[in-house]
Amino acid sequence: MTAPALSAAARRAVWRRQFLLQGCWNYQGMQNVGFAYAILPALREFYAGRPEEALKAVKRHLEFFNTQPAMGTVILGAAVRLEESVAAGEADPRSIGTFKVGLMGSLGAIGDAFFWGALRPTASAAGAILALLHPLAGIVALLALYNATHLLVRFRGFAAGMQGQEGAVAWLRAAGLSGKTEDRKLAAAVLGGAYAGAYAGRHAVLGGDLFIAFVLFVLGVALVRLFTALFRKAVSPSEILAFLLVVGVLILWD
Amino acid sequence: MAFRFALAALLGSLCYLDRTAAFQFMLHRPLVVATLMGAVFGNFAAGAQIGAVLELLYIARLPVGASVPPDDTGAAVFAGAAAAAASSSIGLDGGSFTALLLFTFPFAELGKIADRHVRKVNGRVAHLTAEAVDRGDLRAVEHGLLAGLTLFALSGGLLALAFSGAGVAVAKLLLPRFGPGSHLEFSALLPALPLLGAASVYSCSRTERTAAVFFLTMAAVFAATVFFRWAA
Repeated sequence: MTAPALSAAARRAVWRRQFLLQGCWNYQGMQNVGFAYAILPALREFYAGRPEEALKAVKRHLEFFNTQPAMGTVILGAAVRLEESVAAGEADPRSIGTFKVGLMGSLGAIGDAFFWGALRPTASAAGAILALLHPLAGIVALLALYNATHLLVRFRGFAAGMQGQEGAVAWLRAAGLSGKTEDRKLAAAVLGGAYAGAYAGRHAVLGGDLFIAFVLFVLGVALVRLFTALFRKAVSPSEILAFLLVVGVLILWD
Repeated sequence: MAFRFALAALLGSLCYLDRTAAFQFMLHRPLVVATLMGAVFGNFAAGAQIGAVLELLYIARLPVGASVPPDDTGAAVFAGAAAAAASSSIGLDGGSFTALLLFTFPFAELGKIADRHVRKVNGRVAHLTAEAVDRGDLRAVEHGLLAGLTLFALSGGLLALAFSGAGVAVAKLLLPRFGPGSHLEFSALLPALPLLGAASVYSCSRTERTAAVFFLTMAAVFAATVFFRWAA
């Protein structure tokens, strides 16, 4: 038994649909509907004229699935290749579930640390600083910094996945996202420090005295330390803002 | 004004889609959303100004696994609309700016509750999708996804409508009730807010060298800012 090769049109459709991986995010299956939706054009080609097997394949992908959405493209590409092998009778259908479950946790952890913990703060801090010069410069910097890497990972991750499980693993090793996470976090620290220094400096200038400026700088460092300690104790930004609002109302009351 | 609110709802719904359901191109970030809302309500610079501070305020909470972070998109809809409306009525002084930033937290929390609710309803959609596939209907997957997207978009549009309305109401009705003295006193809290944002970035980017890199940069930029401002 041979499965028909995946057409360029179906491959493009899967690529486009991966942007909707979280389109029906829910607490039970999380990204399950999104994953089934993304891989559906490939399944329709592989199981053309075999509706019962197509149905089984779709059900396989409606099982629980959750990972970082950009990293999901690697698993999606590899799952397409695996489905091709299953349709050709060369692989056990259970291997797809095993592969997805085996990879989604670790890719989720790598992706969360890289995208949410490092790349997004870097892009946001750069955008916030440049917005002080011109709003559009800030927005362009934020979107360009984030999406240049984001789209590259999606594109290359999907292409590597389409080369099969070995291709996906080799790409992940070569991409070295853990090392890049460290670099991006340092870049975020530089930009965050610059942002804090710029704003604290703007207010210190109003004091008109070098000693007052120094005291305000020390106060600024102490506040950053205090807020960071509160975040580590799981205090949310909303709770801190609520506290500051109460302080503000008390100031007005006097 | 009705046209502005309709536009705010439309743009808000697109930004909310980007937040979870589609693309994740960062069109939902507060800097982008607050600037858009500022433009819709007549002053895009005021929206961008408040968006630049709001951008980092909530970034410490990450969308990891099933956890839903505070809705900083909703906070930006409120703050952007309010900043633009305030700048065209009483003017966006330091006190109003501070007050608007502090008022964002109920909207961030309300948006989070709405997001959780949509995800719960999506659970029912996913269940119905699985049942339809069991009956042999493959197209149910596409319908299920479309239903999920529609729910996210509708919820985003309604939140944007409500939050921008609240923003305009706060700017036009609440802020003018306080005199210039109160505004001056309230602005004493303003320096703390960008530092809260910087602390959010700091807590996200913890490595062995983060503390040294962060505080050295902060000191250098602080010194340069003070020096050049005084020199000018």
